[in-house]
Formats: sequence, structure tokens, C-alpha cells
Amino acid sequence: MFGKLIKSNAHTDYVCQVYGRGEVDSPPSPADYAFGTFVRIPLSVGHGQLVGVIYDTVLLNPEFGSLGPRLSPVSDLAVFSPDYLAEKVTLVGITAVGMLAPDGMPAHGVPPLAAQIDTLVERMDDDAVCAFHRTPAGGVQMGYAPLLLGLGSPLARHLLLHVVERLGHLFPAQVATLAVLRNELAWQAAIGPLGGGA
Amino acid sequence: MTTDTPLGITRGPGETPHEYTFISPDRTQTARGGEFVTYAAMIDGETQQILGRITGRRAVRLLPNGFLADPNVPPEAVAALIGYVGQDHDLFEIAVTILGYYDATLGDFINPRLPPRPGTPIYVAESDLLARVLSKRAVGQTGAALVGSLLSRPADEVPIAIDLRAITSTHLAIIASTGAGKSYLAGVLVEELMHPRNRAAVLIIDPHGEYNTLTQMQAGKEFAAPDGYRPRVDIIRPDDVKVRTSSLTLGDLRYLLPDLSERMHYVLGRAYNLAGRKYGEKWTLAQFRMAVREAEQEISGKKSPAEEAEALSQDDDYGTAGAVIWRVNSRLESSRIFNDFESLPLARLFHPGQCTVLQLNEVDGREQQVVVATLLRRLLQALMATEKRQVDQGDENYLPYPAFVLIEEAHNFAPASADLVSSQILKTILSEGRKFGVAVGLISQRPGRLDADVLSQCMTQFILRIVNPIDQNRVAESVESVGRDLLRELPALSKGQAIIAGAAVNTPVLCRVRQRLTEHGAEDVDAPARWVEWFETGREQQGKRDHALPAEHTRGRNKLLKT
Repeated sequence: MFGKLIKSNAHTDYVCQVYGRGEVDSPPSPADYAFGTFVRIPLSVGHGQLVGVIYDTVLLNPEFGSLGPRLSPVSDLAVFSPDYLAEKVTLVGITAVGMLAPDGMPAHGVPPLAAQIDTLVERMDDDAVCAFHRTPAGGVQMGYAPLLLGLGSPLARHLLLHVVERLGHLFPAQVATLAVLRNELAWQAAIGPLGGGA
Repeated sequence: MTTDTPLGITRGPGETPHEYTFISPDRTQTARGGEFVTYAAMIDGETQQILGRITGRRAVRLLPNGFLADPNVPPEAVAALIGYVGQDHDLFEIAVTILGYYDATLGDFINPRLPPRPGTPIYVAESDLLARVLSKRAVGQTGAALVGSLLSRPADEVPIAIDLRAITSTHLAIIASTGAGKSYLAGVLVEELMHPRNRAAVLIIDPHGEYNTLTQMQAGKEFAAPDGYRPRVDIIRPDDVKVRTSSLTLGDLRYLLPDLSERMHYVLGRAYNLAGRKYGEKWTLAQFRMAVREAEQEISGKKSPAEEAEALSQDDDYGTAGAVIWRVNSRLESSRIFNDFESLPLARLFHPGQCTVLQLNEVDGREQQVVVATLLRRLLQALMATEKRQVDQGDENYLPYPAFVLIEEAHNFAPASADLVSSQILKTILSEGRKFGVAVGLISQRPGRLDADVLSQCMTQFILRIVNPIDQNRVAESVESVGRDLLRELPALSKGQAIIAGAAVNTPVLCRVRQRLTEHGAEDVDAPARWVEWFETGREQQGKRDHALPAEHTRGRNKLLKT
């Protein structure tokens, strides 16, 4: 677990607050909530889990822009205004890309169910990522790719590239097919903005 | 071909009122250019099948180019990777030109002048329907010529039978690049013309001597009829081609004689008229020379006939008359074609059930043109005289049946760049021939060099592969009945595939020419095989030389060794 949901902007767009110092025994390292990391978010009992991917990171500092002087030094603030220090948090944006049924069966695309507030968010390990992307025939699938591209974010293609790279390592037998998609995305991400044609 | 399943769904009207477009995944790759499709429409309370011809095809939905980057990875696999699970990802917009529904009474298509509603299902036209409506005549009927089958369907599924009556009244043109199969197609046409159900009177002008094999029709069982009919094929070799000098017109003479001055033209004209007046219709070359001298005397008026004759006897080059006579002698007297008395009788050339092949392969180009012009002129005159009852049976000009003349290398007889003796008579026949029953078929590999008027008056066109853009443009200018969509197919046609358009079919069709019953006589020389053959023969001869005894010679090797 590296954080909890604190709000959502849309049905598939969640904001997770990353645990800070003092909130948990071992606070997560930045690698745990890196760009492109797959996460799972439990739904209510019997409905499986949401699967999402981290597509954005925001460092929140309420003090930024408050130019008034603060009389107390930082060491005193920890004693007199601990809540103030806790307001400085790291938020990550998660887009839901599918679901895992209670029996583990993956489904890609827009999940019909939404997660609840304060639900804990857990990073998925390689085996879980593999299971989510494996087709019944043993191939690889990324059925959420159009959903990510439709986000309208300038980072969407880079996010997909990141995912494809990772899947390339997890599914060596499918590397040729993944390479075609990776090359196309790389072209669109790198050359397309400079005027390269299709 | 099964037509239970719609090929696509109408999208909407096309660019013109008689066009529409439909969308199809075209799983079976059926929607090719030239294919016929139908939809049902209510016309005057009856359901009619409205026939249309596919004229264009455009992809409206394709996979991204990037998906095709790796030849080893199917693009569908990449599409499936990102979650595409649909079928028929390729979609095409097909453009169709509406022909209409076939009215058997009119024998033509009636265009509803209203495109189908969006959403109307479009079907591939049934082969039975096409077999009934594309050809003007049913296969096997008198006047029908089975030239092949519809190209977009399996061989022989939709036979294309053209209307010989239309051809023999409004002429035809066969146009193609070299090697596209125009002589082969002409052979098929002649076979159909000579079939027992048609029994035509055909003359083939054959400048290359490649129609010899048509003689096989005489023995072919396909050409025999129960009433004893068998076609006759008469091959007239170049040595047997004869034209009586007096049958030449003044225009022919002027064309044949080289480098005539203005005065020579004048003398020749006077002499020609004089010969006709003095010696009648059938003058001889000697009489014509006399007429030339007399014409010179009439014109100069300075010498007595005796003085003139003496001067001419001493010097053939004397004066204008001498120059004209010299030209007449050099062109006509030495020719093996022109002579005083003999001309190919029309009755030998034209007879129902007979195909005459006039071989001109060793004849000078100008003489070929004059021979053709003379023959066509005589033919037209004979048919006109017979029609007007000016001649009776027994007269050499009596020809009581229509005739069809097929002219190979027609651009040599009616070129675009010059007005030849043969051009004039060809134009006359093309415009007036139908009234008297004379029709021509022009075959050319260079339509760009063929007179545009001549080409445009051939109302049935067989167009095979044409690659040259100049020739394509000439065809587009002169052939109105073929749509631009079909003309775009011209460079892509294979050997033996033809566009047939015009009066002899109900609508332009892409046709696969049927196999000939006789052998094709215009096969190219197999040069590599002949070279190898020569080498093998040469080696044999070399072997004989190597093993031969030394020849006895006074200065030979043996002698030298002895000394």
C-alpha cells in the first residue's frame, strides 16, 4: 500500500495521496508510485478490484504563494502545528484501465464500478501485471490503450510507451507484436509533434 | 455466383444523378471495377432490378500504416493487442454508375434517373440476369457472335455475344497495343462470322500474312452444318493480287506517281480524261501513254503529232509528257500488281460463307493503299449498282449480298497525319456504307495515328490493352460510348481481355476473349530457340568440316608440304 484515494475527477480518474513520513511504518519510496506503475484498488466485497495506472504526479504545498512571514522555526512547527506539515503531500493521478474479477479474470476498458473514497491503493507486482495482461490464449492484450490515448494528456503516448516497454519484458514471446505498437507510439510521440507524417 | 447476401449498403447519391455509392467490407473481394450490381426498386408498381456498373472503389477505413511496419506481424494482431475485437476492419466506398433496368421490348436499359435510398441493400448481379441483358443477341441465334465471357465472373459463366447486325451496319474498330491480342480477337470474330449460323461474306486485308490459319475453318467440325455448309477460306497471295490499271482513279495515279510538278499534274489529268474518252473504261497502259502524249500536244500546241512522236521516240524524257511517262512506267509497268487486263473479280473476293484473305505482306506501302482503295471503291460501287438495279446477274459488278471488310493496320490506310486515297473511300464507306450493305472493321495498334473521324464512326469498339498515353487519349476522344472508368482499366488489361462497347452490346463490358477454334497465326518468332537451333546445326556442320579430308588444291596445304 502506498496511499489512499482522496478524490476522483471522473469515473476513471482518481487522485491518490501518497503516504508521508509518520503516516505508516515504512513510507513508500518514489519508485513505488512511479509514472506508469500499475495499481489495484479493492472494490466492495465480492466485486473484485479496480486496476489502474499512475499517469500523473503532483507535489502539493499549500504554503506556496503565502509570502507572509512565519515567526516559528520549522522545528517548533512540528510541536505546535503538526497538521501544517502534513499538508505538504504527494498526489498521484490514477486512471482506471480495467478490473480483476473476484476469480482473477481480467477485463480491460472502462470498469463499470467505481472505487470508494479512502480506499487503499496497492502497487501490482510483475506477476499481477502479467495476469492482468494475459489473454486466455496466452497472448498479451492492452485493451485499455484507446482509453489512455483518449485522455487527451500530452503524456498519454509516453505512458503507453512505458507500459509497452514493461510488457515487452514480461511477455518475451510477444515482443514482435509489441514492437510494432511501440514503434508507432514512439513515432507519434517523438516525430509526430515535429511534423512527421503517418 | 451467390447473390443471397448483400454486398453492401447504399450510402447515398454519387457525383451525378445516375451515380450512387455504397459501403461494403467486401469480404469476398467482389467489388471490382466493371462488376455489375443490382438493387430492387419499384418502377410503375413493379419491382425492377436496377443494374449498375462499379466504376470506383475507395478505402474509407483502414488500419494505421504503422501497424503494417513489420511484415512478420499481421496488422490484425496489433489491432487485437490494443483491444480491437471487431471484424471487417476494412471498409470501402464503392461508386456505381446506374444503367437501369432492362426492357426486353425496347432491347435497352431504362435509367430510373433516381439513385437508391440510403440504406438500400446492394447485391451482386446474378449471372443469369447478366447473360440475358448484357448481350443484344442470345448465344446461338443468327446474328450473334460469341466472343467471350464477362471478365469479372468465372470463365464462360456470363457469355458475351455481340450483335453482328450492328457491326455489319455501323462498323467496328479493334484497338490495342502490340501483343495485346487484337489479331487473336479478330480471328475469333471471323470464326463467328463464318459459323454456320452467320455465313458471312468477309474480306480480310492482311498486310502481315498472319491469317493463314483460318483455312482450318474449312475442315473444322464446329463450322460444318447439316445442310452441307462449310466455310470457304480463300488465301490470295501477294503474287495473285491484281489491279487493272484502268480501274485506278486520277487520284490513285497522282498518289502513286512520285514528285509530280504542277504541269505534270495537269498533263496527267488531261491524259486520264482523254484515255477514258478515247479508249473506254478499260484502257491499257500503252493507250494511256499515248493519251499522255496527246495531252501534251493539246496543251503545248506547238508541235505536230509526227514531230512529237519522233521526239519522244528518240528521248523518253522529252518534255513533261516524257517525265510523266517515265513515272508511269517506273511505277506501273514494273509492278506485279497493276496490269492491263486482270483485276481480282469481286465475286471471287466476296461470297456468302467465304472468307477471303488478301495478303499484302510483300507489297509496297503506297501500292497497298491503292489496292485497298480500289477494292473498297469497286465494292461500294458494285453494291450501289446492285441496290439500284443498274446491274444484273452475270455482270462483274453484281453483288447481291452485304460484305464485311476487316482491315489490319488500319492506321496505314487512314492515317491522322495525311489524307490518302484509301482514307477518302474509307470515310465514304463509314458514312454511307450501311445503306448499301458494306461494313468495315478497322484493326490498329496505333489509334493515335488513326484518323479521328474514321475511328469515331466505328460504332462498336473492341479495346484491348493500351499503354501509350497518346493512344489512350485518342481512344478517349473518339470513343464516346466507353466511360472514363473503363478507359482507366486500359493499361491494366491482360492479354485477351477487352472492353467491348458501342452498338453491338447493350452496355460496355469487360470481356475475356474466348479461345479460338483455329490456331493463332500471328505468333512471334522464338528468337532464342532459333539461335540455339542454329548453333546446334552449326556445330554439326563444324564437326563435318573438322573430319573432312583436306581438299586438293594447287596452292593447298598438301601441295605446300610436298614442296
